[in-house]
Amino acid sequence: MQRRGLIALLVSLAACTCCGAIAAAPSEYEVKAVFLFNFSQFVSWPPAAFGTADAPLIIAVLGTDPFGHELDAVVKGERVGAHPLEVRRYSDVSQVKDCHILFIDRSEATQLGAIVQALRGRSILTVSDIDDAARAGVMINLVTQSDRIRMQINVAAARAGGLTISSKLLRPAEIVGPVEG
Amino acid sequence: MRRTGIKRSLMTMLWLTSGVVVLVTAAAFSAYELLSARQLAERNLMTLGEAIASNSTAALAFENADDATETLSALKAEPHIVAAGLYTSSGKLFAQYRPSGGSEPLPATPPRLGYRFEEGSLIGAQPVVQEGRSLGTLYLKSDLGAIYERFRLYGLITLVIMGLSSVVAYLIASRAQRQISRPILALAETARAVSEKHDYSVRAPPAKENELALLTHAFNHMLTRIAEDQGRLQSQLTRLELLRRITRAISERQDLPSIFQVLLRTLEDDLPIDFGCACLKEEDTQTVKLATLGGHGLAFVEALGLQIGDTIPIDQNGLSSSIEGQLVYEPDTREVRFPFPSRFAKAGLCSLVIAPLLVENRVFGMLVCARRSDHAFSSTDCEFLLQLSQHAALAARQAQLHDALQRAYDDLRQSQQAVMQQERLRALGQMASGIAHDINNAISPISLYTDTLLEREPGLSERARGYLVTIQRAIEDVAQTVARMREFYRPREQQLVLARVTMNRLIGEVLDLTRARWSDLPQQRGVVIRLETDLAPNLPEIMGAEGEIRDALTNLVFNAVDAMPEGGTLTLRSREASSKDEEPHREVRVEVCDTGIGMSEETRRRCLEPFYTTKGERGTGLGLAMVYGMVQRHSAELDIRSVIGNGTTVGLSFPVSEASSGVTERASALAMPNRRLALLLVDDDPLLLKSLRDILEADGHLVTAADGGQKGIDAVTGAAQRGAPFDAVITDLGMPYVDGRKVAAAVAAASPETPVILLTGWGKRMLSEDDIPPHVDRVLSKPPKIADLRSALADLVTRPAEVT
Repeated sequence: MQRRGLIALLVSLAACTCCGAIAAAPSEYEVKAVFLFNFSQFVSWPPAAFGTADAPLIIAVLGTDPFGHELDAVVKGERVGAHPLEVRRYSDVSQVKDCHILFIDRSEATQLGAIVQALRGRSILTVSDIDDAARAGVMINLVTQSDRIRMQINVAAARAGGLTISSKLLRPAEIVGPVEG
Repeated sequence: MRRTGIKRSLMTMLWLTSGVVVLVTAAAFSAYELLSARQLAERNLMTLGEAIASNSTAALAFENADDATETLSALKAEPHIVAAGLYTSSGKLFAQYRPSGGSEPLPATPPRLGYRFEEGSLIGAQPVVQEGRSLGTLYLKSDLGAIYERFRLYGLITLVIMGLSSVVAYLIASRAQRQISRPILALAETARAVSEKHDYSVRAPPAKENELALLTHAFNHMLTRIAEDQGRLQSQLTRLELLRRITRAISERQDLPSIFQVLLRTLEDDLPIDFGCACLKEEDTQTVKLATLGGHGLAFVEALGLQIGDTIPIDQNGLSSSIEGQLVYEPDTREVRFPFPSRFAKAGLCSLVIAPLLVENRVFGMLVCARRSDHAFSSTDCEFLLQLSQHAALAARQAQLHDALQRAYDDLRQSQQAVMQQERLRALGQMASGIAHDINNAISPISLYTDTLLEREPGLSERARGYLVTIQRAIEDVAQTVARMREFYRPREQQLVLARVTMNRLIGEVLDLTRARWSDLPQQRGVVIRLETDLAPNLPEIMGAEGEIRDALTNLVFNAVDAMPEGGTLTLRSREASSKDEEPHREVRVEVCDTGIGMSEETRRRCLEPFYTTKGERGTGLGLAMVYGMVQRHSAELDIRSVIGNGTTVGLSFPVSEASSGVTERASALAMPNRRLALLLVDDDPLLLKSLRDILEADGHLVTAADGGQKGIDAVTGAAQRGAPFDAVITDLGMPYVDGRKVAAAVAAASPETPVILLTGWGKRMLSEDDIPPHVDRVLSKPPKIADLRSALADLVTRPAEVT
């Protein structure tokens, strides 16, 4: 199923590439959607994070959803281990409950400190593309540098949330020091 | 050289074996290496690929090409990677790596997954997977340098090991080789020494190893055997040479003693033996005679108590098996009880071999060899002696044959001479016969007329009568001389005219006749020969030819006198005996004995042969031959006893026969025909014809004379035709043209009743040759005696008259 999804993705990518001569390169959020999904591959959650063995792995978007339907398209039919994927959207941090990956949209930039504060100690991989979000305590910050998306990872924050981030993910990423705010 | 040959081959063998083992091991090892090196390279690449792929997941997942390139650049540590590339899951080349200076192209799209060798390279396509999700493909291409490097290394190691193992193998091999080859080389060395020097006393040094020790032992044993055989062969050769020498030496000799002499000498010197002698078997007795002693023999003669000529009994001495043809070996004479070997033991000769001398399965003697020490003769010696004795026997046999041949040759030469003599005598006899015939014819008238004158002329003066008697005696002497002359040649046995003979009277006559020889002549030389006669009275008469017996006795007396040149006693003996034959009959035995020189065995054996004489030129060699002829003609027997120096006795035994048939009675000679007869006389000699005619006419017969055969036949046929045949025809035998035989035949044809009297100068000879022609009724010899003539006429003519 997972593979089929991958193939579907590849097919769609191929289609994009085919049409690439005419169509534009994938959009920023298309890439970021895939990144979000890919994080599920490199991060491991404590067992308590899942209610049951086949409980869904939930990817949530906090604030305005910049992905549109892209994120849904990416996770559709995919599984991580025994866990099916589910996409949720929250408008407020208080709504965030059983969530495993949380993308914090730029719309929430002002409240970022509060959000981080609210989620501290919880086993939720926080991802954001807000500038210096990592230093603000978000675990992974997606930074656009010369048309490429780079990662900044706050390892201490992730460790505080009981998450283990694969070293593989750490290697291409920039490690951001634990500046407690 | 042979030495290095076996060493080298052993070395090579051992070395090659270990080399092949090492090579095969190395080859197997290399094959395994090749296989495992490829697998290892593949696995190494796989490991590398997996590591790189694993490290590339994040880079691919988050499209971080720099990171991916950096990850790939870690391949620098692996110098054999010639190209590497990362492809995204969409198949796009995402990142690539080439070593510095490398320009290996990368495929545009990710190749088929998996690892494989392709075109001299190892290619791997490894999926990049994170949490079961394929993120892309890693492509790796490696040259095979690693494998080659590995191989080089292994090759080097193999070479070094092989070199080392060769050295070690060489050391082991040379040591092992020495252990094997040293005893073999020692054997070879010994064998070479033996074959070069022919010295079989060399021995190979004993080896330690079992099999080689066995081999060496066997070799040494073989050498011992060869040395023994060599020795045996050598002694055999020596023996053979000795045998050859002896055989040659004895074959050059022709007489037994010298054969034995050379045989014994050679044996003593060369076998050698201490004593040797040869014995000959005595005929008909169970003894052997010691014939020849060897050169050493004299030293033992006394101790042995044996002399040449001594006889040794066979049975008492245990020689019988030797006489049966077996070789007898007494290894220790001291332990034998028989006297003959005991003598040897006493003489210090302790071992004894007696080899038989055997010819044609008959033992004629034995060869005796002895040695001082006991058990001194080996079986080879015995074998040799047996062989030698066979050769010696053969040579002896040859000598005997040679002797016999020589004797036969002598006999033959003698016979040849005898035949020549006889031929000469025959010619002489024929001549004498012719002369006798002529003389007989010539004296016939003298004899006839003398007889007539003495008979018919009573008026003769005493003186004339005396003269006539002298003439008559002279004529008789002439006639006898002629007769003897004719008897000189006697080609075969005569038909005897037998008469009664009184032996004692005859002996007296002989002694009278020979008195000059046994009495007068010796006395002139001062030699006395005494005569003794021992004559049995009342001897029966025998039937015989007096003259022949007289001649024979005369000859015997002459021989006896000749045998006594120094004088002695001549004895004549007569007696009656009875023969010891199967048919006993009475015999008259006469013996002439002398006390003279006697005869040797040879002379005694040969004395009866014609022309054999011991008297040199004086003797004819016919005397005893004549005696023997007489004896045979009289069915008598002759025996001679003689001892050299003691004299000779010759005995004659005449059978006494009662038969008197065919004997003309003296009385009948006085008979006269009782009537006047018509007679025909046929002769070519007119003198004889006339004298016969005169005498027969004087007897009152009617005589017709015919001077020749043809005239005689005419007269016979004429008389027959007239019917007045003659009462008898008296014809000469030898006449020209028509002889007495033809006359006799004509008489038989014309008047078969008429008897024919044949007169012949060959008278007796014709009788002897059974040559009386047919139709002849009586043969009278010339000169005819009146009495004989009358008697014949009376017999032939009167008898038929008496019958009728």
